[in-house]
Amino acid sequence: MADTTPILRIEHMTKRYGAKEVLKDASLSINRGELKVLIGPSGGGKSTLLQCINFLIKPDRGRIWLDGEEIVRAKGKALYDYRQKVGMIFQDFNLFDHLTALHNVEIGLLRVKGLSRNEARNRAVLELDRVGLTEYMHQYPAELSGGQKQRVSIARALAMDPEIMLLDEPTSALDPELISEVLDVIRTLRSNGMTMIMSTHHIGFASEVADELVFLEDGSIVEVGPPEKVLYRADYARTREFCSKITELYGNSSS
Amino acid sequence: MTESLIVLYGALPYLLRGSLVTIAVVVGAMMIGVIVGISLAVGQVYGDRWLHRLIAVYVWFFRGVPLLVLLFLFYFGLFSLLQINLSAFTVSVIVLGMISSAYQSQIFRGAIMSLPEGQMKAARALGMSDGKAVLLIILPQALRLSIPGWSNEYSIVLKDSAVAYALGVMEMMARAHFVASRTYEHLPLYFAAGFMFMILTYLGTKGLRILEEKVRIPGYSS
Repeated sequence: MADTTPILRIEHMTKRYGAKEVLKDASLSINRGELKVLIGPSGGGKSTLLQCINFLIKPDRGRIWLDGEEIVRAKGKALYDYRQKVGMIFQDFNLFDHLTALHNVEIGLLRVKGLSRNEARNRAVLELDRVGLTEYMHQYPAELSGGQKQRVSIARALAMDPEIMLLDEPTSALDPELISEVLDVIRTLRSNGMTMIMSTHHIGFASEVADELVFLEDGSIVEVGPPEKVLYRADYARTREFCSKITELYGNSSS
Repeated sequence: MTESLIVLYGALPYLLRGSLVTIAVVVGAMMIGVIVGISLAVGQVYGDRWLHRLIAVYVWFFRGVPLLVLLFLFYFGLFSLLQINLSAFTVSVIVLGMISSAYQSQIFRGAIMSLPEGQMKAARALGMSDGKAVLLIILPQALRLSIPGWSNEYSIVLKDSAVAYALGVMEMMARAHFVASRTYEHLPLYFAAGFMFMILTYLGTKGLRILEEKVRIPGYSS
């Protein structure tokens, strides 16, 4: 199902804070319909890499192509247009706390895409229905569980019709019993052909759904390959060590 | 004693008309304070270094110089020098408004900074410009959080408005003083003026408390 034209390509992405280089010359490309999973120790640069891709963090160096077109001037309208095409899911949801679930999904449609009130309403209702939250659409974020909040945030991102989604540890802030409802939604996205880059510690889930695992450590992409290779026959000792530890911790099964 | 009450009773309509002047000064000053204060807060949080410094100087000036000095400085000094002919009432509203904007900017700034960083990130990630994000996401939340501090600021501006008496604005204090010095009934008149300030403080803070409850985001405890 994945074709071979890269929808997103990044090259030589570098970010430093003071003396510390948090992202070192990272290059990655992803084809339409693929899911790549970033793994690696905390502080290894997964989140920085994802946020550099949509310029929430400004990379010091590096180039990005979306759909074959390079993003040369990442500011103003060009940046806002680009960000609409790159959906982002955060670890701690970041729903707009003063808006109901429905309005959270609607606001981008109304105020960024400029849809009419009716169009926006219909689309938002549809997206919330897709993540199974129709009956919660008039609730405020503080009235929802973590899993429900994350599903709203996925609906909010999908409503913008992104070409690719970035998911930054989407289940890390969830109680264990709420994780599967979010993973199920991601699984559905995957089978519908959404292109995604996701960071997670759920190695079982990753190996089930990912086309490739990307192992990041100390800001560098150490190893890229299909899950069974990275998990069991990694080229680098450090990758093998990390994978065996994390497999022990999070299990092999995908739950 | 009865004589005092008769004087007070006779002066009451006069004092109450003064309370309308007081209310006008306070409402005007608070409105200037909100508009300028929000702009200053946004500039201070999201602006560049120079804007930040400029605002810091503004805040320093209006928080640092006593109210009475500012009133005289603007009324007798600055506006005369510039040959701008403004009434004592208008100058009092402007000066109280600018002082309040300095304090209010810090209330709003604190509220903006207390919001999680992720709110701005999520707004940007959706493709909003920073301006839209501030207007649609940050301020609606920050202003809700500002109401308790704002209520405090209201009571301060209300009391400060009595100093406008020094420019000859016929608000409550000026009228109480006027009657008292004619009738020598100082105690009942200043007591009445003080009591009317207390009533206005109560009504204002009570109203803001109701507003706070009304705009509370469901699911949050406070």
